[in-house]
Amino acid sequence: MSDQDNKKPLKLFFWLWAIITVAGVAVSLWAPGYLMPRSMSNNMHLTILTMVVFSVAAAPVAAGVYAASIYMLRTWSYRGDDVPPPAPVIRENNKVVASWLLASTVLTVFLLIWGLGALAVDNSSTGKNPLVVDVTGQQWVWSFSYPGTHVESNQLYLPENREVEFRVTSDDVTHGFWIVNMGVQVDANPGTITTIHTTPNRLGEFTVRCEQFCGLNHSFMDTEGFVVSTQNFNSWLAAQPQRS
Amino acid sequence: MSIETTEPPAAGPHGEDGGHFLEPEVVDRGQRLGVWLFIGGDIIIVSALLFTYLYLRGVNTSGHWMSMLGYQGHSYAYYQNAANLPAPTLIHVKAMSAGFDWLITAVTVVTAGIIWQGERALRVTKNAKAFSSAAAFATIVTLVAIVLTVIQLRAIPEIFVATNDSQGMAYTAYDSAFMALVGSGLIHLVVLAFLGLGLTVRASRGLITGEKWYQARLIRMFWVWIAISSVVVAAVTTTINTIH
Amino acid sequence: MTTTLERNATAQIPKGGGLARRQNFGTAVVAGVVFAYLFWLIAHLTLDSTGRPFGDQVATFTGLGWLIGFWIGIGAFNGPFRWLLGRDHSHADDMYYAGQNMGKARYWKFTTDHKVVGVQYIVVTMVLFGVGGILAMAIRTNLIAPGNHFVNQQVYNSFIAIHGMVMILAMIVAVAGPWGNFVMPIMIGARDMAFPRLNALSLWTLVAAIGLLVTTLAVGGLPVGWVVMDPISNQAGIGMDFFALTIIAFTVSTTVAGVNTITTMMTMRTKGMTLERMPIFTWGVFMAAALGLYAFPYFLVAESFQILDRTSFTSFFVSTGGGTGWLQANLFWLMGHPEVYVILLPAVGALFEIAAVMSRKPVFSYRTAVGSMAGLAGLSALVWAHHMFTSGWAPTLGGPFMLTTEIISIPTGLFFLVLIGTLWRGHIWMKLPTIWLFGFMANFIIAGITGIYLSDIPLDDQLHGTMFVTAHFHYVFVGSVLFGAIAALAFWYPKVTGRYLNEYLGRISFWFVFVGVQVTFLAMFVSGLRGMPRRYASYSIIFEHTNFASTIGAYTIMIGMIILGVALVTSWNKGEPSGPNPWQANSLEWMVPTPPPLENFEVQPVITEDPYNFDKEMVRR
Repeated sequence: MSDQDNKKPLKLFFWLWAIITVAGVAVSLWAPGYLMPRSMSNNMHLTILTMVVFSVAAAPVAAGVYAASIYMLRTWSYRGDDVPPPAPVIRENNKVVASWLLASTVLTVFLLIWGLGALAVDNSSTGKNPLVVDVTGQQWVWSFSYPGTHVESNQLYLPENREVEFRVTSDDVTHGFWIVNMGVQVDANPGTITTIHTTPNRLGEFTVRCEQFCGLNHSFMDTEGFVVSTQNFNSWLAAQPQRS
Repeated sequence: MSIETTEPPAAGPHGEDGGHFLEPEVVDRGQRLGVWLFIGGDIIIVSALLFTYLYLRGVNTSGHWMSMLGYQGHSYAYYQNAANLPAPTLIHVKAMSAGFDWLITAVTVVTAGIIWQGERALRVTKNAKAFSSAAAFATIVTLVAIVLTVIQLRAIPEIFVATNDSQGMAYTAYDSAFMALVGSGLIHLVVLAFLGLGLTVRASRGLITGEKWYQARLIRMFWVWIAISSVVVAAVTTTINTIH
Repeated sequence: MTTTLERNATAQIPKGGGLARRQNFGTAVVAGVVFAYLFWLIAHLTLDSTGRPFGDQVATFTGLGWLIGFWIGIGAFNGPFRWLLGRDHSHADDMYYAGQNMGKARYWKFTTDHKVVGVQYIVVTMVLFGVGGILAMAIRTNLIAPGNHFVNQQVYNSFIAIHGMVMILAMIVAVAGPWGNFVMPIMIGARDMAFPRLNALSLWTLVAAIGLLVTTLAVGGLPVGWVVMDPISNQAGIGMDFFALTIIAFTVSTTVAGVNTITTMMTMRTKGMTLERMPIFTWGVFMAAALGLYAFPYFLVAESFQILDRTSFTSFFVSTGGGTGWLQANLFWLMGHPEVYVILLPAVGALFEIAAVMSRKPVFSYRTAVGSMAGLAGLSALVWAHHMFTSGWAPTLGGPFMLTTEIISIPTGLFFLVLIGTLWRGHIWMKLPTIWLFGFMANFIIAGITGIYLSDIPLDDQLHGTMFVTAHFHYVFVGSVLFGAIAALAFWYPKVTGRYLNEYLGRISFWFVFVGVQVTFLAMFVSGLRGMPRRYASYSIIFEHTNFASTIGAYTIMIGMIILGVALVTSWNKGEPSGPNPWQANSLEWMVPTPPPLENFEVQPVITEDPYNFDKEMVRR
């Protein structure tokens, strides 16, 4: 009977699955923090955390596919030039389909809940006296001005632990304003102002890149920025040449 | 899969089955479905154009849905050099004539009515000659609609604009979206004129008769859809044509 | 039986007969060039040459001239005008245009036979993959080390866009073109497609579109990215006009093909071929055709607007005139996301078919298989804005679009269930198609999972616009669809040629491509995670190692593809003979001789069960 059914012991499959899952989880825990840019804001922290959570959740799924593939190749593959004999006829198995659907739905719902929650956190604004920065993209430089101060700069200085509101627009084509270390990104559209918030929470240098293709020198449309203490930020502002 | 019986001999050649001796019912069913699918694709196109119209109105970028910075009343030749231009003024455009819009629509609906009546008469009275005349009449009325549509297209006002790198006659977003809708109407009417001419010729040559009327029905289906789309477009463009 | 003989007797070999019968690819190219020149001349004589859009206007006229001339030259308008004049084809005409007794010449003509169109699609696909692949190698060579050093930036930017578009075209037709035309009608027991002339029109319009795309590259390229977003596309030269016309022609081609495919499957099935008995591959083609019919009109509209903006000073996408690039983005992605599934579904359908035949088991849960493909097709119409999460457009819609996007992972997951369920406990015959099938599964899980990352807005806010996205969709296209397409090629190649695709070369090719894909695109994921944006011609030193690895991986893929190409060409006439049914499958295409005769069946088959009962006595091999 078992020969006709072509059933084989599943021990190997479960071992494979377990090993690959463990390896996957290990990589998931390690890689995002190691590979992604240094986190300098609450948003980036959330981004890296989400990356870890999703990867850990995905590890058993991917492991299932890999384990099943390897197991099938080892157990049921048929080499040779002649056609293999007929295999057992399994047309439907409602239990399997239902459990598969249930499992994938549960996973999806979990990802959705996490994602929507993270989205709410990501978009939330403390509303407490944010520093407004006007960001203007043009081919192929960024310029930053601080309303109320007449300061305009090609480098982005931000004070630590204060919410920043970026009001982003473009003078020519669409650019993508992306603070690589802060996990915030929004397009700079001509004729329109788009807004994003973030709160820098670590001192140091960061990078701003254009992530929307914008023509010839797109590859060079980046600049550096600095998160500094409030005191240093104010003295930097004061030291800038005033634009009338 | 097994081959059990042979089919009875299929119908003889009749010119519209790619030479495969298909039964006329199969050919008819296929052609009807084909026309419905083409209408489906056309519905997507018209919907996309209406979406464009409503979306541009909704966004109203820089408040320029129905206005533009430019120079009224001058042609390109007047200003050879952008540097000589005075400051551009805000020019408002008016909504296009609703009456004219509905006139074209009415003419289109009349052509569809003629074809529909002609086709019904063909099926009832089996009079191919009368149908040929009806198709010819519908074609001529369609030509009238084409002329009216061209007049309307030419009436869309241009504004002369000049910037550092470009100058010429320009259309506001409203005019552009309106032009797209009218232009697609024009293309549809040209197709209808072709089809109407074909019906005329074919009916007079005895290829569409009281017994072989299904091509007349196919074209009537498409024709009625064009009439409906014309009404929908006119309804939208004449009722929703103010600044958002 | 006697009917059959009479049919062949009535269809005599036509002799002589007018210009229309002499038309072929050569006359099409000549007419295309002549008309392009005529239109160019007319444009120069009639248009005001002082304005900036003059160049664009002339380019648009010229491109239209090529398209119209090509159509006239190949004979695409003959049918409509004969219809107009009431001079319908005789049976002999129909048989002539189907390529009866014409030999190899029929492959160069407006031939209506679906098998000829299928073979033409194989060739077109190979040409597209060749061009796109060369461009890919140029791109990767440029990125082998920091600093721009192989081609200049302008050319590089063009290469990215043309590589993108050529490969998208290639992917769209890679499975649905050759096999949707060659085997699908036989599978359902039809003598041909429902509209044979539209079938030829779809193929030759694609060829004309490729001519326009090549012209794009020749007249200054398209240095604006393949998505040609506005307003950046306004800065492109006249290449952009040819590109927009390419797309317009291409949408005509796909729309016509979609209508034809759906109609064929709905009305041309043989007796007893109920919807539940159709081979599962045909469902993949059906879903793709339906989805294409829904999606491509948006692209037609978007590119028409771009032409109007460039030649007629309309303001659809121009912010100073009240337009907005977001409109272009919406129209583009309304097409762009469904298009991914137009590409994917035929490949998945083919793999279901291959899994069943090669494991000697029925498709596991046929209803789930069809349902998951339908679910994917349906949902894909509702997710387009996930490409615009960071555009600033309608931030409040982020949540809903995230929802619809992540729900797609449920039907996608069911693909794995069907594949694994079909193979499970089977006798898995390890031939070339099966090997590529396993490669598909390994890659598609990575493609799927990374897709979920990108559907999550907080993550997308970091990963959007980076190499991570590039790596993700290359896992979809190269890792998954290409593997599926090659599996399908290896599977049905014997039906076209009567010979196996060289098993040995095919396996070598598999290992090169499989390893190459992992190296190239895993490294590319890392580049993206580290913060390297897409479409960079030059990059900072911190991305050095991963880019080097990607380039080496890309070369590896190229070697694999060249080996596959060699196998394809050499096996065509010299491969090991396969007989009509090498895989001992039961679906109708294996029941007819190889190569299948014109009109496919001597006797119209009647179907009594689905083609997956492998435990029955096998038919002739």
